[in-house]
Amino acid sequence: MSSPGLQGGRPAKVLVTKIGFDGHDRGSRIVAAFLRDAGMEVVYTGPWQTVENVVNLALQEDVDVIGISSLATDHLIVPKLMEALKTAGLGHIAVVVGGIVPDSEVGLLTDAGVAYVFHPGASRDQIVNTISGLAANARASA
Amino acid sequence: MGHPDKTETTPAAPGYREAKRRWETEYRPQVKGDDVRRNRSGIELKPLYGPDDWDSARYMADLGLPGQEPTTRGIHASMYRGRPWSPRMVVGFGTPEDYNKRMRDLYALGLTGLFVSPCNSHLRGYDPDEVERELLGTCGTLISTSDDMGVCMDGIPFDSESISVGDTAPYTLTAMLIKVAKQRGIQWQSLVGTTNQSDYLSHYAALHMFYRLDLPGQKRVLLDHIDWMNRNVPRWNPISIVGQHMQQAGATPAEAMGLTLSSAIQYANDMIERGKQPDDFLPRFSFFFDISISFFEEIAKFRAGRRVWNRLVRERFGAKDPRSGKFRFHAQTSGVDLTRQQPLNNIARVTVHAMAGILGGLQSMHTDSYDEAICIPTETTARIAVATQNILREEAHLGDVIDPLGGSYYVEALTNAMEEKIMAVIEAVDAQGGMFAAVKSGFVQKMIGQSALAFQQKIESRDEIVVGVNEYVYDGPSGAVPPALERPDGKKLDAYLAKLHAFRERRDAAKVAEALDRLGEAFSSPTTNTYEKVVEAIDAGATHGEVCHRVREAVGFGQPLVVV
Amino acid sequence: MTRIDPGSAEAVAVLVSRLLSGETRALAKAITKVECGEAGAAALLAAIQPHLGHATVLGITGPPGVGKSTLIDALIAELRCRGKRVGVLAVDPSSPVSGGAILGDRVRMARHTGDAGVFVRSLASRGHLGGLFRTAWGVIQVMDAAGPDYILLETVGTGQSEVEICDYAHANLVLCAPGLGDDIQAIKSGILEIADILVVNKADQPNAATTVSQLQGMLGLRSAAASGVSVVTTTASTGEGLPALADLIEAIARDRTTPAGRRRGSRGARRALANAAGDRVRERALQAEDSSPIDALCERFARGEIALDAAAAELVRLVADGEDGGE
Ligand SMILES: Nc1nc2c(ncn2[C@@H]2O[C@H](COP(=O)(O)OP(=O)(O)OP(=O)(O)O)[C@@H](O)[C@H]2O)c(=O)[nH]1
Ligand SMILES: [Mg+2]
Repeated sequence: MSSPGLQGGRPAKVLVTKIGFDGHDRGSRIVAAFLRDAGMEVVYTGPWQTVENVVNLALQEDVDVIGISSLATDHLIVPKLMEALKTAGLGHIAVVVGGIVPDSEVGLLTDAGVAYVFHPGASRDQIVNTISGLAANARASA
Repeated sequence: MGHPDKTETTPAAPGYREAKRRWETEYRPQVKGDDVRRNRSGIELKPLYGPDDWDSARYMADLGLPGQEPTTRGIHASMYRGRPWSPRMVVGFGTPEDYNKRMRDLYALGLTGLFVSPCNSHLRGYDPDEVERELLGTCGTLISTSDDMGVCMDGIPFDSESISVGDTAPYTLTAMLIKVAKQRGIQWQSLVGTTNQSDYLSHYAALHMFYRLDLPGQKRVLLDHIDWMNRNVPRWNPISIVGQHMQQAGATPAEAMGLTLSSAIQYANDMIERGKQPDDFLPRFSFFFDISISFFEEIAKFRAGRRVWNRLVRERFGAKDPRSGKFRFHAQTSGVDLTRQQPLNNIARVTVHAMAGILGGLQSMHTDSYDEAICIPTETTARIAVATQNILREEAHLGDVIDPLGGSYYVEALTNAMEEKIMAVIEAVDAQGGMFAAVKSGFVQKMIGQSALAFQQKIESRDEIVVGVNEYVYDGPSGAVPPALERPDGKKLDAYLAKLHAFRERRDAAKVAEALDRLGEAFSSPTTNTYEKVVEAIDAGATHGEVCHRVREAVGFGQPLVVV
Repeated sequence: MTRIDPGSAEAVAVLVSRLLSGETRALAKAITKVECGEAGAAALLAAIQPHLGHATVLGITGPPGVGKSTLIDALIAELRCRGKRVGVLAVDPSSPVSGGAILGDRVRMARHTGDAGVFVRSLASRGHLGGLFRTAWGVIQVMDAAGPDYILLETVGTGQSEVEICDYAHANLVLCAPGLGDDIQAIKSGILEIADILVVNKADQPNAATTVSQLQGMLGLRSAAASGVSVVTTTASTGEGLPALADLIEAIARDRTTPAGRRRGSRGARRALANAAGDRVRERALQAEDSSPIDALCERFARGEIALDAAAAELVRLVADGEDGGE
């Protein structure tokens, strides 16, 4: 096929969202812009999503990656999200978490199946490259 | 308002022009031709400032003396000589008992300002047994009943010290505090403090933390709160207008100041529309800002903001009472500037932030702990943050001389330039129909988002250096003590929830139901003060969540406007 | 565990039966397959043909920010009250530079996310002109096969040249905001022709009534064709005016069984084909390699050695040859 962008295949599709109670969205807005500028399609939501909502969004939108931004301890319910995704048959979706996650709690997330945790100071290239790699894998195993 | 044309400037000292020319010929070859530097607000910075840049003949018009119009040099005649700024620390985690212990400890260390910061579940308007347990008390203190507030304040002299509550519509925390004061026989009418998160416009535009009700409902409850507090607790500041959220969300310092003043204008107009006299409510307006590490820019931001507000209240609202134009503000060192890499470096950053705030003339300050970019501050790190303020006051003597940078060519020129930028923002918001309309349409959110992205792009391209992040990266041990993560312990949580249930069992259910009904009904009558009904409902024993639900039923659940 | 090739006939058959039985995950995957032209897309579309035609398809178009997504949100609420199931396809523009997109329409429809009777899918235009995306025709069919009563199609919102949608939809809602002449001018320049219902949204703002009468005036100048056009006012953000709009929409759904309603179907297929062919020729022309026959033709045309129509005909032939040549 001649033009991969339009004929078959598709750009990585990423859900950028926030669960729990935190409202700080500076990070998620910037990440969404970075991913768009790297050629990805980003479904963006407001804060305060429930785990159930995130599962429904991921399901309907058929995304490859879910990015959760958490600055005020909302990462503590990410294991619940991982469980709910598996139950919904969406275990192939890669989940990444970005924001403030104390070192001692990174294991809590990775043990639950989170693919990557971005800490403050992560560079644009690091974020974009990691997510596009994860998206390709997720799609292959969908 | 505005500034004299550069050409109006008085002739400089004899020999100055010639000397300046000589300096320029020496300077030019020593620097790169394209060395254009700008501050975060986009103001181009000259390498040197002198008499051309600030006309001392404008002294009385632009600066005046401390406590006098236009208050550029400070709002009080004596500034820190008369009353040092208050170190006010945001403390919030765990149960009311945890909070009380931490507060007493910090108090013993010289903290004078009190601050109550509730759990995120509370911010969103729920009682703790309505939400996911994992999130309870991890980010603020669990406070859902007046009993909880009583525990928080146990042994704390909240009648003699000013107290800041992180409270938003419908202001249940303030109502709980009033009840606790009554229970203790304290003259609750003379309480001093601030409803610190009542600025719903900034939450709607930039933070979405303390935003619970639909915009029009949020507006009504705030105006009722201001009105009721002004009449019943006259020394209380029912509104603190916040620039901190917008700057943390990415607004430049000038934008954050301009937008904050636009919010203040909106609130003042709303009160005037209700038939209130400016001099009745303006003296109780207070402000809350972020302090970034852009040192001189922040100092100039505060000086310019103070001057603009002082003029605005007279020109726009015709305020006569000098207290109306006093730009009283609390400030917090910027969390966004702190790095996770080499966290001890943050102590240096916070020191610079704090110095800028003090030199800018703040009234109270929260200094961030160095581990703020890693986790919620721990006890040890919070202690260092308080000590930083004590060092600046006691050892560096920053409070000895009032407005020590006043008259500096650079600082005065920068203050003027910041004022121009700030006024441009205010005018842009005016053109949108005011701040309420401008946040509703997403105008403000777009402005902030664009600035946030532009700044991040500069970090990515290394036009802006962050030590240890995109330059001077060092992966070795940081020397910081690994933070002992403080998560509320399960048993304490169980005990807390049991206490909450017992509280609900114990109270007079019929009385609570009646008070909540009256609260709900208040919203269908435009002349009833809804805040009075909140105070009564809490007094009757309603919980925070119950009050929030009832108000939301009446005016709608607030959802943020998502602007991408 | 060996994976079954998702493009295989067997896998497609399984996907189709899950889709027809109303499984959400199958619908989501089938949309992706057709949207992106993945292996098995053609077989899938062929398999669902006998199951199409239940849904009434409505185009929702109008300038950026006029309130299309908010109106859809309110319309979903109204239709759900009436027991109807709703599918939404919301299209946002792709960046011409990066090809990426931020798909933000569904943010306004957030309250319906947990409702099993509502399925919303965000799509990017991916360079397709005309307000939709290249494979919209097929994706609408997939959505139809899942059985909703209504499919709401939100266009990109250029406010112009969105004629494509009127061949795909049973009826078109064209939104405009109350305002001065400018907006009306924009509407006049083409988009008015495709409206079955003109919606003056943001009726809570001043001048709504003036705008309605201006629009009615403009419609009055038109002949019989325009006589069936309704003008309604809504405040999407509060739901005001939605019951009346839903009544009109339900009437359209009942009318679909008329011959005119049925004709739409064949026009849609024709439009989809013509657009796809046009896209293909355009892409080939724009991406032709240096000194390829297409490049040479472009050079000749640039020098004025061949007339536009003749060159275009030649281009189509060259593209067709290329296709034959196989890749
Ligand atoms: N006052 C008022 N505002 C409305 C109304 N409908 C929508 N809005 C607001 O208009 C803005 C844009 O609404 P959207 O629904 O996103 O508009 P859209 O046409 O889908 O926008 P694009 O998809 O970007 O082209 C939002 O802030 C809505 O809240 C209305 O009836 N009255
Ligand atoms: Mg939209």
